Amino acid sequence: MLGFLIGEALRDLHRAGRVAVAAILLTTLSLAALGGFWLVSTNVGQAAEQWRDRVRITVFLKQEPSAAETDELVDRVQAMPGVAAVRYVSKSEALGTLKEVLGKDASVAEQLPTNPLPASLEVMLNEAGATPEGARGLITRLSELPETDEVSGGMDWVDRLARGRRLLDVIGLGIGAVLAVAAILTVTTATTLVLHLRRQELEIMRLVGAPELVVRLPLLLQGMLQGLLGAVMAIWLLIAVYALAGPHLEPLVNQTLGLERLTFLKPHTVVGLMLAGTMLGGFGGWLARGRTAP
Amino acid sequence: MIELHRVWKVFSVGPVKVPALSDISFRVAKGECVTLHGASGAGKTTLLRLLYREELPTEGDIEVLGCDVPALRVREVAALRRSIGVVFQDAKLLPGRTVYENVAFVLRVLGTPRREITPRVFDALRRVGLSARAQAYPAQLSQGEAQRAALARAIARKPLLLLADEPTGSLDESMAGEVIDIIKDIWARGTTVLFATHQARLAAALHQRTLHLLSGRLVKDEG
Repeated sequence: MLGFLIGEALRDLHRAGRVAVAAILLTTLSLAALGGFWLVSTNVGQAAEQWRDRVRITVFLKQEPSAAETDELVDRVQAMPGVAAVRYVSKSEALGTLKEVLGKDASVAEQLPTNPLPASLEVMLNEAGATPEGARGLITRLSELPETDEVSGGMDWVDRLARGRRLLDVIGLGIGAVLAVAAILTVTTATTLVLHLRRQELEIMRLVGAPELVVRLPLLLQGMLQGLLGAVMAIWLLIAVYALAGPHLEPLVNQTLGLERLTFLKPHTVVGLMLAGTMLGGFGGWLARGRTAP
Repeated sequence: MIELHRVWKVFSVGPVKVPALSDISFRVAKGECVTLHGASGAGKTTLLRLLYREELPTEGDIEVLGCDVPALRVREVAALRRSIGVVFQDAKLLPGRTVYENVAFVLRVLGTPRREITPRVFDALRRVGLSARAQAYPAQLSQGEAQRAALARAIARKPLLLLADEPTGSLDESMAGEVIDIIKDIWARGTTVLFATHQARLAAALHQRTLHLLSGRLVKDEG
């Protein structure tokens, strides 16, 4: 019986011809739009992660500590909430860096009677520390250290990152929700359209007393098959666009977002898209199950 | 086999109530062949639809094959319909399937074992004289042939009750005669038949009991 029902689903899909092709193409476009947005969102998310790594808080010290004091100070700061890593920058390292920055004018620094640059700590933030509240709390704690002369940097980046994330969240929720709803409506409508062609068969099946499962299963299978085909084609389309446009977009993305290269959807996302297509098609098939008995 | 007691069917058209059937009571015994005669709009189709639970009565009791029809649940409706064959004025053949496939389709969806399907389909087609047209598509059939194919589809399931709703309505005299002969044959083999027609001559041709409907009322039960 199952073989007959699957055969019926395939036969109907074949017989639906252009309507089925249109339904599958609509499903493809809809899921490709959703997958494309997912792709962009993933890459922008990665860029945001990289921005977070760039955020630094610099703690200038009153005086250069001894080696033992440095280790103890670094351990103390490392243990603070919001801190991902701490690096000690000695006075001489700071001067070396200054000379590198000055380049051919480095001789200016050599003429100084003493090294005026203070020793410092470069504090890198973890996810909790890279929020406006987390960073403010950390800056307060760092300022209260007896060794601290001044704390600088960080907040600009943290605020910019927070704004960027909020924007991503809003765009993600907004566009994602709109695309998801559009995909659901498109796939279910397209599936219903094809399954409408089966209304005569449904009428006959109900008239002769076919069990409800036998009436509904081919519709469900046909819808699922359509959704799956649409999802597979959507993924092919995304792979093709990624392969063709990716190399051309990477320089632009590198300059604007700071990403070295674009990444494609992760395997579990691809599987998720295929499952979504299959389930949406099945949902359409279920909706198109036809009229029930009075 | 069939028993109706004080059955009413009223359709609501906006605020207006339109009675399609008014206070209908009759009984059809097992093995009977009964003609339901009435003009178009007399309520024949509505009455048949009540019997296979396509419609629910507004009031009254309906018993078919021992089932209290209005009280049936969806699953029980399907079980009842498996014992009832229904044919319509438009044959309702599936256009994308051959005559053979149309008849086999209903057997398949009802879970008939595969090895039984072909012999049963050809037996039904032979009885209606369509064996030679098994591979024809509905569009290639005459109206009479289409109606005979619909009858083959109905009898292939070996129903206990055949409900025929104006199966000769769109046929010429000779084709209608062929359909009547087939219905007589079905009845002669033990199937209870309820045959609806607006043609008084055909009602008489069956030489059996006739129920006359007029504007939704049962006005005469003769024969």
